[in-house]
Amino acid sequence: MPNRFLWLSAIVLVATTASAQLPGLRRYTPADNARRPAPAVPLLGIEALRADFAAQSGGTTVYFTSDTAVLSPPARTVLSAQAAWLRRHPEVVARIEGYGDGGDTRDHALAVGARRAAEARNYLLLLGVPAAQVSITSWGKERPGLGRAVTILVS
Amino acid sequence: MMKQILLPLLLLAGSAAQAQQPAAPATVIAVPPLTSPDSGTKGNQMLQVGWEATQLIVADLGSTAEFAPLRPSRDDYYSYPEVTAPMFGKWRSAGAKILVTGFVQNRSDGRLTFGCYVYDVEKGRELARKGFVLTPGEWRRAAHRCSGVAYKAIVGTPGAFDSRIAYVAETGVGDARMRRVAVMDSDGYNHRFLTAGGSMALTPRLSPKGDRVAYVSFTGDKPNVRVIDLGSGQERPLIPADSISFAPRYSPDGSRILFSMMLGSNSDIYLVNADGGLPQRLTTSPGVDTDPSFSPDGSKIVFESDRGGSQQLYMMNADGSGERRISFGNGSYASPEWSPDGQWIAFAHRGADGKRIGVLKADGTGGALLTSGPADEGPSWAPSSREILFQRASGVGRSGLYRIALGGGEPRQVAVPQNASDPDWSGVAE
Repeated sequence: MPNRFLWLSAIVLVATTASAQLPGLRRYTPADNARRPAPAVPLLGIEALRADFAAQSGGTTVYFTSDTAVLSPPARTVLSAQAAWLRRHPEVVARIEGYGDGGDTRDHALAVGARRAAEARNYLLLLGVPAAQVSITSWGKERPGLGRAVTILVS
Repeated sequence: MMKQILLPLLLLAGSAAQAQQPAAPATVIAVPPLTSPDSGTKGNQMLQVGWEATQLIVADLGSTAEFAPLRPSRDDYYSYPEVTAPMFGKWRSAGAKILVTGFVQNRSDGRLTFGCYVYDVEKGRELARKGFVLTPGEWRRAAHRCSGVAYKAIVGTPGAFDSRIAYVAETGVGDARMRRVAVMDSDGYNHRFLTAGGSMALTPRLSPKGDRVAYVSFTGDKPNVRVIDLGSGQERPLIPADSISFAPRYSPDGSRILFSMMLGSNSDIYLVNADGGLPQRLTTSPGVDTDPSFSPDGSKIVFESDRGGSQQLYMMNADGSGERRISFGNGSYASPEWSPDGQWIAFAHRGADGKRIGVLKADGTGGALLTSGPADEGPSWAPSSREILFQRASGVGRSGLYRIALGGGEPRQVAVPQNASDPDWSGVAE
């Protein structure tokens, strides 16, 4: 009897571990189930989702002229496509990472990066993306990738 | 108006401050070996500590623009009675204007008493004296304090000797660059890292007592202000970490922290108790308002804002009222810091020739650029208000800490083990 119990535990353990490693499978809490519909495309891994997002949006990145956070017409085109994709995939959570300019002072660059990310997010929300689906951050001038805002799918 | 400010800025760069505050020639100062009233083995041990301390005092005073110390010799035994009754004639003929004497005495509780005396040799009178009781392991601190007593007696402002420097130590390249908060005594001793390097750290700011450091951490991939207690090593977020916050700086009494926080796409200045609580919003302009710094009396705040189109310096009362612009030159002005004596505001200037460190008088007049750039930023005042510590980048991924005198001249590099940025110089520990 104790032996059989051990075996059973081992099988359950293997099963849960295996399922946790399957790409694209995420564990839903009851709150998630109440809030979100089932994904339209089932069981896509995050890498596959990222590739699809980049391809359908014409890019993950929008660019800004020096020291501004104004969205250019090309930036709006990219963001419109991103918004359409995010509305089709309400289960995917995204983060927009803003970058400042290299010649700037440290704290101003942090603020400019955050502002660029916020402007890009505002545009997505304007086009119907739920606020809870997109967060922002800023890397200031602290990482390579200056002068832009990049939308990254996080989960 | 424009021309009046621009002219000194361009023509007198590096020397305007000097013209306003003429640099006197260095004062010759004699520091004979600290002696001891103790005898026997203990007496010899005290003389040994005294000799180490003497060399440190000479090094401290020699590192300033104001003093030229005579080289001390260990063979010049200095008697205990001479500490309080110097033979002025002897020091006059040696060319000294100022004499610093002192002693080290062993106490019954195992600690040491350091006595420190400062004399005007020409007038033959005492200028200052002070005693410190410290553990034998704290002898460096005692020597720094003695240097401070001498500096203050002659120059009038506190010396920078018993103070700390916090900064960001950097290694690696690109996304993998590790940036950790480090702190050390202002002479480079007692260097240690305060953060592990798992997430990026920026802009550490010491509390006035030097017992805490507020800094910007990227934990959770989002810039947010955190506070480290140096004694316990404990760390906590200043405010709930779901918002983007940065640019922290302590109030002069250490009870509150100024910082910037994003609300939507707008960066404004907030004030919060150093122990947390509900932040009070001080600015509301739609521009980027950041880098706030209190006046030493706590009544005013200087900060930078791009509300007028380019980054400029603004001043307001501590409750956020009475905002007015104080910088009007070419280029942009950033990262202001109010000097501890209240007279100056240091800033980083961005112009066609890059980023340079400059100063304005606190009323906004008398602008001058002190450094040549082209990648200098992050100014922080020495406790003496006579020097500015800043970071200078010298190529991709290479940067160091430098100090420059208010009177201008060549900046001197501060020795640190790695690449370094974002320096902050504390007040003098008491």
